[in-house]
Amino acid sequence: MILLVLTLAAATGFAAVSHLVTRYTANQQARGRKLYALGLENAKALHYDDAIAAFRAALTCDPTNSQYQLSLARALRDSNDPRRLDESESYLIALWQRTPQDAAVNLALARVAAHRGSIEDATRYYHNAMYGVWSGDLDANRNKARIELIQFLLKQGARAQADSELIALAAALPPDPASHLQAAHLFQQALDYPGALAQYEEALHLDPGNSTALAGAGETAYLSGNYSSAQRYLRSAVSANPADAESRQLLASTDLVLRADPFHSHVSDAERNRRITAAFSQAEDRLTACAQQVGIDLTKVDLANTAPASALPGLQARWQLAKPDLDLLRSPAETDLPDAIMDVVFQIEQQTAATCGQPQGLDLALLLISQKREAASQ
Amino acid sequence: MSNPAPLVGPSAPSSTPVAPVKTSRRLFSTLEGVLHEEVFFLILSVFIGIFSGLAGVCFRLTIDWMHLALLGPLPQTHSWRLFAVPSLAGLVVAALVMRVFPGIRGSGVNQTKSALYIFNGFIPFRTAVGKFICAGIAIGSGQSLGPEDPSLQIGASIASALGRQLEISREKLRLMAPVGAAAGLAAAFNAPISAVLFVIEEVIGRWSAGILGSVVLSAVASVVVVRSFLGSEPLFRIPVTTFKRPTELIAYAVLGIAGGLASVAFAKSIGYFRPLLKALPRWTQYFQPAIAGLLVGLIGFLGFPQVMGAGYDSMDQAMHGQYAWKVLALLAVLKILATTVSFVSGTPGGMFAPTLFIGAMLGGAVGDIERFYFPHLTGSTGTYVLVGMGVLFAGFLRVPMTSVFMVL
Repeated sequence: MILLVLTLAAATGFAAVSHLVTRYTANQQARGRKLYALGLENAKALHYDDAIAAFRAALTCDPTNSQYQLSLARALRDSNDPRRLDESESYLIALWQRTPQDAAVNLALARVAAHRGSIEDATRYYHNAMYGVWSGDLDANRNKARIELIQFLLKQGARAQADSELIALAAALPPDPASHLQAAHLFQQALDYPGALAQYEEALHLDPGNSTALAGAGETAYLSGNYSSAQRYLRSAVSANPADAESRQLLASTDLVLRADPFHSHVSDAERNRRITAAFSQAEDRLTACAQQVGIDLTKVDLANTAPASALPGLQARWQLAKPDLDLLRSPAETDLPDAIMDVVFQIEQQTAATCGQPQGLDLALLLISQKREAASQ
Repeated sequence: MSNPAPLVGPSAPSSTPVAPVKTSRRLFSTLEGVLHEEVFFLILSVFIGIFSGLAGVCFRLTIDWMHLALLGPLPQTHSWRLFAVPSLAGLVVAALVMRVFPGIRGSGVNQTKSALYIFNGFIPFRTAVGKFICAGIAIGSGQSLGPEDPSLQIGASIASALGRQLEISREKLRLMAPVGAAAGLAAAFNAPISAVLFVIEEVIGRWSAGILGSVVLSAVASVVVVRSFLGSEPLFRIPVTTFKRPTELIAYAVLGIAGGLASVAFAKSIGYFRPLLKALPRWTQYFQPAIAGLLVGLIGFLGFPQVMGAGYDSMDQAMHGQYAWKVLALLAVLKILATTVSFVSGTPGGMFAPTLFIGAMLGGAVGDIERFYFPHLTGSTGTYVLVGMGVLFAGFLRVPMTSVFMVL
């Protein structure tokens, strides 16, 4: 009988407290929603301190609400206070332990790791996010997370890892010019110009008149030494957007390279010899001007006693030695002569660029040709 | 610690001032032969746990609700509410304590021990009601006190009332207080092991096989009830801790010494001021909690609202490195001041949470300073905060075993 009474009393107490807790919880949840909305408003306005206070208050009203915890963790992370990263991570780890497959939580953790500069942790959490459970468009979210990872890796100088992520990204891009443009930009940042050019070409395939893609394709073709393609794309870019000064300047340089390159295909022997002669003469002018700039009078230098470190007088001597060879260019027996003469020109252009700074006009064109030749020989 | 009387054996002398139970009668005569009293006592322990758990849930909701209603959901420094609310609440609490619920001052741990060793387990039910209301108002309004000790006394009071109502033997009635205390404390801590250890270490004072089963049962039942309503979220999100070199223990030993000194300062200040204020004319006792509330509120108003109330949120933030060491050290000192003022004024409320708060802040400050001078130390701020909590808990409350399990 006593036990029955106690049981009944306990059951009644349970029911009463349950009713009380339910009502209280409902009130608290309503209050929590208001505070959460206030927090979101503050976070949107970048008032992180106020947002953090509001999210904390919302969490006191509804301590187990994952959304509140996630938002507080994000605000703590984004407040640019290194002391708050620990707390942010702590909330996120707790959420992660509950739902390790949640892509949003993994992405938030990845961003915390990125804030800390931890490549290993960031890569792991970004990958978890990519292959986790998303509430919206799966592919778009995955690509967004991968792009973020690539940007982080590039910022950290982890080129090799960024390259492999870029390859994966390129394979998963939707047929959308904007996505290809973004990928191309990332390839360009990773100094993978052929990869960038391929993405710009994909974008142009989907939207042939896209001036950004044309300019980008022209620039990456130029940077990768593919001047014929660069000329084609840059001409189209300039005609599509006449205000594009950068493309116009690149086009001028490209035209100059193509006009000055003695090794360009479909160039007759006579034209080749003319280009070599012009380049040789230009190299001397450049050498003299550069020597004057650094205070060396090449006419008074004793070439026999020139120190090895004195590069400009040495080049002057080489130029003098090669000058008589110009007359032999027409001889069919001297097949190596164009290379030998241009080798002197290229050395002069490279050395003067290193000593006196980046050249302009024809000198720049010759420098670019020398770099292209060097890359091809490597 | 006092020398405890045996818990199982001859009952206390008949000269005890309160003897409301008809001890000669076997009250469960109808159950005799079917249900031995020992077994019944164990079952009763579960019910005590359930009722204490229910009371603990209501107590926690009351404090939360009071805090929201009186101080608002968003903590704002330089708001008049911060000192007006605890002052006015102090007046109300003082009136209630003086007129309606005499004998509910302080934390409640000593009263529970007195019930066990002097009053044959008798704690008036009015104590539970008074403690519930007054501590709820005081802590909710921002007095620098905690809810754990009042919850302990509420549990003990419920157990005592239930025992008297069921007219159990005097011998068993004496044991009801610690059983209820364990349940009440477990409800507040949401942690049964710490509650059991605390009751054994501090309330009972020694290991006693005769009561251990009941204490464990009531604590577990209480926690089950609390978790079924409020969930099993821990009070703190414990950060990842690392311990790489044994030599780092020296750093923690330094923290132990600092914590010991802080415990002495804290205990001495309470021991010095409490008799002083008690000796003042009776009418001043109507105003002491209000003045304490005003002082605590002023600390909050001047930019440190963290010291108001139990302060678990601030401890959690300290654990995650949210404060610089100077702020941590200042908060530790201010909390000692605020808690001393609140406690010696006779405001009902507990010392557990403030002790943990002071330990957390002190631990964080000492840890940050040590790591500044010895950068090779691998322990995080969170680790030092945790250890600091254990240090103060062990030092001030003199319960080393409980403190170890609390931190774990």
